[in-house]
Amino acid sequence: MLVAPSWSEVGHSECIYSSYRDLISRQSETQQMEVLKEKVEEEEEAERAEQAERAERAKKMMRPMEVRKEDTTRTQEMLRDLERKLSEIEVSIPEKPSTFTKDAIDTSKLPLSYQSNTPKEEHLLQVADNFSRQYSHLCPDRVPLFLYPVNECSVPKFVSTTIRPTLMPYPELYNWDTCAQFVSDFLSAVPLPDPLKPPSYLYSSTTVLKYQEGNCFDFSTLLCSMLLGAGYDAYCVYGYGSQDLCHMDLTREVCPLTVKPKEMVKEEEKAPPKKYAVKPPRDLTSRFEREQEIKRQEGVKAEEEKRLKQGERLAEQESAKTDPLHGLRVHSWVLVLSGKREVPESFFIDPFTARSYSTQDDHFLGIESLWNHKNYWVNMQDCWNCCKDLVFDLGDPVRWEYLLLETDKPLLSLTEEEDDGMNDDDDVENLGKEDEDKSFDMPCSWVEQIEISPEAFETRCPNGKKVIQYKRARLEKWAPYLNNNGLVCRLTTYEDLQCTKILEIKEWFQNRKDMLELKHINKVTGLNIDYFKPGHPQALRAHSYTSMQPEMDRVMEFYETARVDGLIKREETPRTMTEYYQGRPDLLSYRHVNFGPRIKKLSLNSAESNPRPVVKITERFSRNPAKPADEDVAERVFLLLDERIQLRYHCREDHLTASKREFLWRTEGDSKGNKIIMTPDMCLSFEVEPMEHTKKLLYQYEAMMKLKNEEKLARHQAWESELEVLEILKLREEEEAAHVLTISIYDTKRNEKSKEYREAMERMMLEEHLWQAEAQLDYLAPFLAQLPPGEKLTRWQAVRLKDECLSDFKQRLIDKANLIQARFEKVLPGPWQGRGPQRPQPENGPRAVCSPSQTCEGLIGAGGGCQCLGCPDDRVVLPHTCSLGGRVDGGREGVVGGWMEPYNSS
Amino acid sequence: MNRLCDVEPRVMDDEMLKLAVGEQGPRDEAGQLAKQEGILFKDVLSLQLDFQNILRIDNLWQFENLRKLQLDNNIIEKIEGLENLTHLVWLDLSFNNIEAIEGLDTLVNLEDLSLFNNRISKIDSLDALVKLQVLSLGNNQIGNMTNIIYLRRFKDLRTLSLSGNPVAEAEDYRTFICAYLPDLVYLDFQRIDDHMKELAEMKHQCSVDELKHQESLMQAQLEEEQARWEELEGHKAAFVEHLNGPFLFDSMYAEDVEGSQLSHLPGVGELVQTYKDKFVIICLNIFKFGMKQQEKRKAELDTFMGCVQEAIQEKQEQGKHEIAKFEEKHLLTLSSIRDESELTNFEIKMAEHSENITELVNVLMTLEMQLVEQLEETINMFERNIIDLVGLFVENVQSLMAQCRDLENHHHEKLLEIAISTREKIVKGELDEDLPDAVRALFVDKDTIVNAVGASHDIHLLKIDNREDELVTRVNSWRAHLVDKIHKDEIMRNRRRMKEINQYVDHVQSELDSLEYSDLLD
Repeated sequence: MLVAPSWSEVGHSECIYSSYRDLISRQSETQQMEVLKEKVEEEEEAERAEQAERAERAKKMMRPMEVRKEDTTRTQEMLRDLERKLSEIEVSIPEKPSTFTKDAIDTSKLPLSYQSNTPKEEHLLQVADNFSRQYSHLCPDRVPLFLYPVNECSVPKFVSTTIRPTLMPYPELYNWDTCAQFVSDFLSAVPLPDPLKPPSYLYSSTTVLKYQEGNCFDFSTLLCSMLLGAGYDAYCVYGYGSQDLCHMDLTREVCPLTVKPKEMVKEEEKAPPKKYAVKPPRDLTSRFEREQEIKRQEGVKAEEEKRLKQGERLAEQESAKTDPLHGLRVHSWVLVLSGKREVPESFFIDPFTARSYSTQDDHFLGIESLWNHKNYWVNMQDCWNCCKDLVFDLGDPVRWEYLLLETDKPLLSLTEEEDDGMNDDDDVENLGKEDEDKSFDMPCSWVEQIEISPEAFETRCPNGKKVIQYKRARLEKWAPYLNNNGLVCRLTTYEDLQCTKILEIKEWFQNRKDMLELKHINKVTGLNIDYFKPGHPQALRAHSYTSMQPEMDRVMEFYETARVDGLIKREETPRTMTEYYQGRPDLLSYRHVNFGPRIKKLSLNSAESNPRPVVKITERFSRNPAKPADEDVAERVFLLLDERIQLRYHCREDHLTASKREFLWRTEGDSKGNKIIMTPDMCLSFEVEPMEHTKKLLYQYEAMMKLKNEEKLARHQAWESELEVLEILKLREEEEAAHVLTISIYDTKRNEKSKEYREAMERMMLEEHLWQAEAQLDYLAPFLAQLPPGEKLTRWQAVRLKDECLSDFKQRLIDKANLIQARFEKVLPGPWQGRGPQRPQPENGPRAVCSPSQTCEGLIGAGGGCQCLGCPDDRVVLPHTCSLGGRVDGGREGVVGGWMEPYNSS
Repeated sequence: MNRLCDVEPRVMDDEMLKLAVGEQGPRDEAGQLAKQEGILFKDVLSLQLDFQNILRIDNLWQFENLRKLQLDNNIIEKIEGLENLTHLVWLDLSFNNIEAIEGLDTLVNLEDLSLFNNRISKIDSLDALVKLQVLSLGNNQIGNMTNIIYLRRFKDLRTLSLSGNPVAEAEDYRTFICAYLPDLVYLDFQRIDDHMKELAEMKHQCSVDELKHQESLMQAQLEEEQARWEELEGHKAAFVEHLNGPFLFDSMYAEDVEGSQLSHLPGVGELVQTYKDKFVIICLNIFKFGMKQQEKRKAELDTFMGCVQEAIQEKQEQGKHEIAKFEEKHLLTLSSIRDESELTNFEIKMAEHSENITELVNVLMTLEMQLVEQLEETINMFERNIIDLVGLFVENVQSLMAQCRDLENHHHEKLLEIAISTREKIVKGELDEDLPDAVRALFVDKDTIVNAVGASHDIHLLKIDNREDELVTRVNSWRAHLVDKIHKDEIMRNRRRMKEINQYVDHVQSELDSLEYSDLLD
């Protein structure tokens, strides 16, 4: 099936033509393959003529109009047939035409480098053109190179300059896997306009990122830019891929999330047998029989596996149709060479799916050329066996024809010396290189630095959602905070290939208040498992259940360090409850409670608390090194119905057996009706070292009394555990219903509270500032300070205050003026000396220029700081003269300044 | 204190103790039980003997496990008879007539000691009480402030009372104590506040610092000595002590009168010096070799012990597993037999279970036998290896010692030559230098001088021989001891295991048999 968008663009006749071409290419495909094989085997010289002929044929294929003319007679019928068939096929034309067409792109805002070429770039284009012509001359049977497609402004740009190595500011994007994942998530894939040809355009990453859409070339250019920025030795590859690869079809791939990580078989380093290791006891079983048995079992297993595989293969073959265009579909991906960033081995990255493949993978069918931001290489190796035989030694000019002569590429490695002799005479390969300017290097990229806003980075997928269909699995991804229950990822696994029967669902959550991280729902068994991150109010780690009803099968795991009682796990069945502990001061590690059937109570008024009767409680303790083993209880069993307590002590270090003790008590009296306190037969014991202890009855009595108390406590504990389970279940239900999301305090965008707080703080700061400025100007302050603080002023006080202030101000002005005058007279020699100050007449309007006869010095001396208004630049300039006067700011005496006219205030 | 002098003192006899124990023992039902079977003194944990007019502490040796003893308000004059009460944590001797602290040297676990209201005038003899936390010495006659410095050695001491002593009347009493005992929390039943501590620190900083400095010096000296001692022990374990220097050489000359006299001769000084240098080098070689060999032996022993332990552990685990398996079965069978009503079935089951028990015995015994065989082989191998190692060591040391002897012989010849030539010179009167009279006396005739040189030589050889013999005998005896001990340990282990298995099986069998009897009774 051809790709729909290309159909929508071309007319009807072309439509037919392309499907027709399809047919032909199917025929020619096998031929081409053969050609390639032959080429390897036969001599070049002898083949030249034949080759030319074949090239012509290939050209004919490329120009189908001719082909049609030639073969009209033969294909007339076929065509009609095809037409009919095609009319039957319903082509689902996308309702909304792709926005990612040239017209839709707003090129007006793009910088100049996008819209024109620099002389250096022009030169490069010439070089490339020259190269391309030579190439087509030398290898006429190969398709034209992908060298300088037009960009979004219709300017031809060399592909290498489209790559803009950028190191992203996000630490997540420093490694290739996360980087590729981001690219594949962030952009939505658009198929090539013609699946058999590279596109005629290649847009800049700026545009691609803006519209979040692109074809495989856009993908690989962006990814390559990011990888180069992160320091990888990455290349964009133009080549041929399988159908699945080109269509981003993962339905035949197993979802990586479903693949269980292979259990790392810990190869326990077998310590070399020590010198004195004892010899194992002689094995007396027949080795032959054992081997036979193993053989038989292996045979059975192999048979089974074979059968399973066969069934699977059949099913798969059914679903996988052979691709008519196999080997011709153009694709672009990224090659990462080993060496830099500790990459041990070269590999491919498919930018659509962000998966890495080995260079031997079956999906990659051939390479035409590859490039990075520095150079462009054409593959001269044969791809008859996909990419499996390719050698990625780019310094080898026989295998990789380079466009620009570069010095920093590794030259041919010395191991392949035998090739040298063979290639000595073919100067053809190196033709044209001599006339090139050897010092010419790649011009800088015309693309702007790649920028991804934090919002876009967080949202990742276009519209925040992405769905991937895998083999028997479906993966959905959402941006955080998009779903109000915090869902970010869901993986649905199906039983069959048609994806109808759901096996299990896994849902990942983020930013949940209840710390829920992963919900695992098994549809077959009905088992639900919730996993929590640390921080749940009940310290829950995992909760697996089939129903939320109490007293059913369930397992709860806890973060034991967050709990006071050190509980790790609590398992429940309808009749039992088992708890595991760790790190308790009393060293309790295990408690198992058996419940009996609930006794039906007749009185309904106390229906709420009708706990099931406890039948048996088993408690186990870890070894307490402070106590001797014979006194350290390992296990105690309270048999509540039999009124019996069994104790088992810890085993001594060098012993096989452990002491045991069993208490039975009788409540009935003896024959005389006296109450029995303690008799030797109430305590049965087995002592490992009977001679070491002579336990008296008193001791046993005391032990028994203590155990009775412990029993009560244990029962209470069991009851409390039951209550806790109920409480947790209630809490979980509430949380599920509410699903509150948390917002990190560092998330300045979403965190309303912190935003408010920050704004309030800013406002406060501003107010404070204003108030301070005001306070500085408060000329009443020194007078108010005389009065008792915090009291309201009476009218009389206020009036008096005002008068005082004014008179004070007046006095001060007078003083100052006097002072100024005095100094002025003293300092200034000049025309008015002896005559007293005289007001100079402003000559040109109110704004007078500085005249040499007047100075602000006096003002400065008297008031402290002064600003001259007369001068055009209102700086405080010290020895300075001007005619207008100055503003006196908060002077030495603390009086806040006012305006002053020179010389006439007195 | 002496208010009761007119009352007749009582003796701590059995009766009195029994009465006290009975009175202070368990109550109610437990008391009845206790009365029935009596209480052993060694089970008593706490004993109260106040207001009994006791003059002499006695008869307490049976109370081995006593934790708390109250002897207050008596007329005791001397602390005695407490040597056996090593578990004692709390001792109250207040309101007595004690004059000196003594007899507490074995009470290493004591944490709380009360000597309130006695006639004590000096704090001492408390060195053994390393865990002491509370010390009450109020109302005594302690008059010397320096006594308090003695209390610095108790790192855990938190509570101290000294009120009512002459010392408490001093002006800076509190600050002095606070400064010298900075870890103290309560003094005279009052909490020491931080303010007081600061004050005290300021006041007495100089003297306290000086004291601290002295203490640290002492400590360092002690540690150094300890380290030296340990090093020597290490060398002794390698059987090469005192060989890492000129010790042997010096000891050769220590008892050698003639030798030291002869060293005054011209040229002999240099000769002795070169001889010494060479000798010391050989000694050092022996030392180094010995240390290396010691390491080798140790590694050998460690691997051996590790392997043996591993083997034992493995078998033990297997045995435990078997027993656990059996126990499960055993419990089930017992209950099923108990429920069985029919006699024939009952008997069949009994027989079956008896067989099970026999099987268990067989399995356990097989495991043990395997282990014994394996261990025997390993032990023999180890023995061979260790003998080889020791043999190698001895051989090498002997060859090195032979070098020493050669050196000595060589030296002897040279010395003799010099002596004779000197004698000739003396006879001819050509000797320029002055010789001490004692030395000159040696040169009366040729025989004397030859004898003197010979005697010196003999002494040296003897010393070397002695050292060699000592080393060889010690290393051999060590080897013999080691091997002997390993064999013995193995035998003991085997016996213990056998006993344990038998005991367990007897117990199980008896459980089964008791069923039989009880059923027969029914």
